[in-house]
Amino acid sequence: MKSSKRSFLATLGLCALSVCLSQAVSAQTALDGITKSKTVKIGIPTDYPPYGFVGLDMKPQGLDIDMANLVAAKLGVKAELVPVASANRIPYLQTKKIDLIISTLGKNEERMKILNFSHAYAPYYQAVFAPKSLTIKSFADLAGKTVATARGAMEDEMLVKLAPKETEIKRFEDQAATTAAYVSGQTQAIAASVSVIGVVNQKQPQLNTEFKLLLRDSPCFIGVDKGEDALLAKVNAIVAAAKADGTLNKMSQKWLKRDTGDLPL
Amino acid sequence: MIEFSLWDIFSNLLLAARWTVALSLVAFIGGGLIGLTLLVLRLTGKPVLVRSINTYTQIFQGTPLLMQLFLLYFGIGLLGIDTSAWVSASIALTLYTSAYLAEIWRGCVESIPRGQWEASKSLAMSFGQLLTHVILPQALKIAVPPTVGFLVQVVKGTALASVVGFVELTKAGGMIANVTFAPLLVYSCVALVYFALCFPISLYARFLERKLHVARR
Repeated sequence: MKSSKRSFLATLGLCALSVCLSQAVSAQTALDGITKSKTVKIGIPTDYPPYGFVGLDMKPQGLDIDMANLVAAKLGVKAELVPVASANRIPYLQTKKIDLIISTLGKNEERMKILNFSHAYAPYYQAVFAPKSLTIKSFADLAGKTVATARGAMEDEMLVKLAPKETEIKRFEDQAATTAAYVSGQTQAIAASVSVIGVVNQKQPQLNTEFKLLLRDSPCFIGVDKGEDALLAKVNAIVAAAKADGTLNKMSQKWLKRDTGDLPL
Repeated sequence: MIEFSLWDIFSNLLLAARWTVALSLVAFIGGGLIGLTLLVLRLTGKPVLVRSINTYTQIFQGTPLLMQLFLLYFGIGLLGIDTSAWVSASIALTLYTSAYLAEIWRGCVESIPRGQWEASKSLAMSFGQLLTHVILPQALKIAVPPTVGFLVQVVKGTALASVVGFVELTKAGGMIANVTFAPLLVYSCVALVYFALCFPISLYARFLERKLHVARR
């Protein structure tokens, strides 16, 4: 009895301590930190061509990396690029280990509760793709078929919502494993972004993969932690300026070979 | 798109394997030291110590290493304490390894007949003398195969450290596979490098076993 009371008090003390600590941290805004350290920490993808992938020297490159460097340059600070995966990028932002997420981040209601979004900076859409020989005309046709998807990504969520219960969704840790599973024939279909499929077809034309069903049109936004309004305003101004002077369109043409189209605010 | 030659793939994987080696070494050394301490504390037989070490082992054996890494990196971060990926991964791997090793070694020690303890005590040996002269040398021989088996698991387990941002062997393999779209080739290379890391450890264990047995004869 006595020891349980003591451990209860200890727990209480720890909680109080952690609350104090977290308040001490949040007293400084992300923008202050950025101007003070002259670096902005940005979460970028490294396994998602053409948005973020590695070159021969294992250095990241791609649309998101260009965007991250643009934002850092306009903020007048150095960019510290942190490789993130779709499963851990939001924890990275929430624990302030990064200041911004520029990692093909889509907008949805659940995410809006925990972080803020800038204006969109690049086009993006997800769909279900499968070999031409497989007949999939509507979501009902997915029943009993195996579909590969990256865990925690937007495709995963949309698939759960739209596909019938009998669909066998196989989740993988990152886009590499997801693509590998589909390419090696472990699943019949894949739910992914159009950019990934473009490269699959270029490298593995014998699969004859084609577009089957649209899951969602979801352009990319920059993620900013809640309460960092000063930083968000700056980022929005940078995106708006880049959109106006055609930089965004140039980036889209360079990496996606298409115009940005109509990007939402 | 850039073309990776086989050599490019291999050299990049070898560079990333440095992290795998570094993390494994931290886990071996840190886990070994703490594991040994826990073992000795447990052998003293004090109920409080035995119970708390039991709880410790149950916690780290009963939860996935991935969760431990995640909690130590992001969980502590949520409390406002900023830990680097290095510190978090080292702590998680050390705790995880020590819990398993303490338990493996306890089994080895307990397989030494009670009579040996009683005989040592009847010779008026202190607890320290008893352990270092009688029990541990015998337990060591039994401990080699299961310890090495577990250490090889730890080498492969370091792959999970990619969740806190380490670009180690598996993560690097994933990144390259995504650019080259030759997953079979890339992951085969990854497997080969892991094998090249683990096989010498197993070989050394066999050597060690033979040596220890020869000493007994």
